[in-house]
Amino acid sequence: MKRYDLIIVGAGPAGLSAAIEAAKRGIKTVVFDENSRPGGQLFKQIHKFFGSKEHRAKIRGYVIGGQLLDEARKSGVEVILDATVIGLYQDREVVVKLGEAIHHFKGNAVIVATGASENMINFPGWTLPGVIGAGAAQTMLNLHGVLPGKRVLMLGSGNVGLVVSFQLMQCGCEVAAIVDAAPRVGGYGVHASKVARTGVPFYLSHTIVKAEGYDHVTGVTIAEVDEHFSFIPGTEKHFDVDTICLAVGLSPMSQLLKMAGCKMSDDPKKGGQVPICDTYGRTSLSGIFAAGDVSAIEEASSAMIEGRMAGVCAAEYLGYIDEEEEKKELAELDDALNGLRQGMFAPGNRGKAIEKTEEGIDISKNLLKNGFVAEDEIERYPGVTHREGIHPVIECTQNIPCNPCQDACRQGCISIGDKITSLPIVTKDSKCTGCGMCVASCSGQAIFLVNEDCGDGSATVTLPYEFLPLPEEGSKGIGLGRDGKKVCDAEVVSVRSLDVYDKTNLLTMRVPKEYAMKARFFRKA
Amino acid sequence: MNALSDRSRDIGPFVEKEGDDLLVCRCEEITKGEIRKAVHDGMWTITEIRRYLRAGMGLCQGQTCSKLVKGIVARELGISPAELEPATSRAPMRPIEMRVFAEESKEDHDEN
Repeated sequence: MKRYDLIIVGAGPAGLSAAIEAAKRGIKTVVFDENSRPGGQLFKQIHKFFGSKEHRAKIRGYVIGGQLLDEARKSGVEVILDATVIGLYQDREVVVKLGEAIHHFKGNAVIVATGASENMINFPGWTLPGVIGAGAAQTMLNLHGVLPGKRVLMLGSGNVGLVVSFQLMQCGCEVAAIVDAAPRVGGYGVHASKVARTGVPFYLSHTIVKAEGYDHVTGVTIAEVDEHFSFIPGTEKHFDVDTICLAVGLSPMSQLLKMAGCKMSDDPKKGGQVPICDTYGRTSLSGIFAAGDVSAIEEASSAMIEGRMAGVCAAEYLGYIDEEEEKKELAELDDALNGLRQGMFAPGNRGKAIEKTEEGIDISKNLLKNGFVAEDEIERYPGVTHREGIHPVIECTQNIPCNPCQDACRQGCISIGDKITSLPIVTKDSKCTGCGMCVASCSGQAIFLVNEDCGDGSATVTLPYEFLPLPEEGSKGIGLGRDGKKVCDAEVVSVRSLDVYDKTNLLTMRVPKEYAMKARFFRKA
Repeated sequence: MNALSDRSRDIGPFVEKEGDDLLVCRCEEITKGEIRKAVHDGMWTITEIRRYLRAGMGLCQGQTCSKLVKGIVARELGISPAELEPATSRAPMRPIEMRVFAEESKEDHDEN
């Protein structure tokens, strides 16, 4: 039986981060992953991440995946792919299917970072080809370059549903609607807004009645639900679609830990059956640790920190660092994790209806119900100001832990302050040069550069644009409002695509000046 | 004593309902009605349901349906899904062909 100091199951953000922490201390570490590519879900994440610099904010997920993999290889981690761990037994014996045979390994310590699987819900027609998980759709699009369909209905308005809807459109699919049985949009408002402004309707308090079709999906009927989630007769709506994506949550894949004999608990707040462990991932069995979604559903940024925590704990357990060093390292990681677990979407706030921002401003009701901030609501947020000449308009209306915009502006136009969840404000005496770095740095695509009066009756609006092909300068089209409906005619003044923008193009359109604060997206005529 | 240990508790008779023909476990083709009926036949735990119906025992090993099955059983018993112990986790954790499962690698043993 081959022996390793540390065996890690799962080469996702948590597993790789744990491996790096361990290997850089000289620990002989192997990572097994059942997929043929490492990185877990990271390589499917083509959007820019939220957070602060230390959380790798504004970097696209797949780039973070590449960075982790590089770091892991440089630190001497052995990553074995197409390696399916089928069992975890007493005394940390790990049984792995490699190729056509079964291999046994022994780990002096084991970190389980197996992640999560998608939940399903069932309705008449749910077994028809064309009903797929949103994560599966994302795998098809971003890893295999295959469109799941042409016209899609998305069930679920959490971040997965919102992000995948946007990516489906980037790949050329049409998203017919985003539907959620909950009365409020579950994901970040900025993610909802970037989808809504392209014209995708949101149906909250609605769910699927049935999928239609004989041998594949040809349509879907949804209906409104009351507070007990029962259908309200007469509220049915039909959509012709060929694909239904389900983004209805994730469940931890914790079976290996249960098999090993770890104490488990069923915790709906954590997504299902999870190992009972301390904040650093130490389970009830000595030498077995858990990190990432397997111990509670969160997201990739926290999984990376949890992975590093588990790696540090394993290093101490194996005697490569002493308790004092472990304590110091964990305290630093605690701070980083706490930084992420702030704001309206913090794990402790899950399911709560939040009425006001930390600044005491009313949350946009329309954002939660329809996916966009209404015109009569937008002016109350501190990032939305008016002045002469070009200036940033920051339509960031919820407290989320994210601050790259503050560092992006060299002129010091944007300030968030020390509290990472604070809404960004436009500072008083700064001079915007129109460089557009703030627009490109906002992971939520919520910053616009507006010149409200160009002197000739027109205004210009610069917006983040991530669809190909790019409209050409001079092309005519329409300006869409935050709700995705036509507000005016528009003409493309310029499209800037600098390397520093990292694939977020800056499209500047000219609109009549009365629409300067209304037009937020461009569609070619 | 919890809601599950008192097996003499009356949960009422099995009454057919709309939606009973809905497929829940795709791998083993088990419907919602079959699961509901199994509860009234006395199968009050996920382990019993799995052995009685094979729901969650197919190719995906309950990865798709286990939450759905749990929800149906819990509702029928009038308890929270969290009160139901999830199914036992056993190797192999992933579907695997018997010829591979039986193929113990020799090289690993040679090293010790």
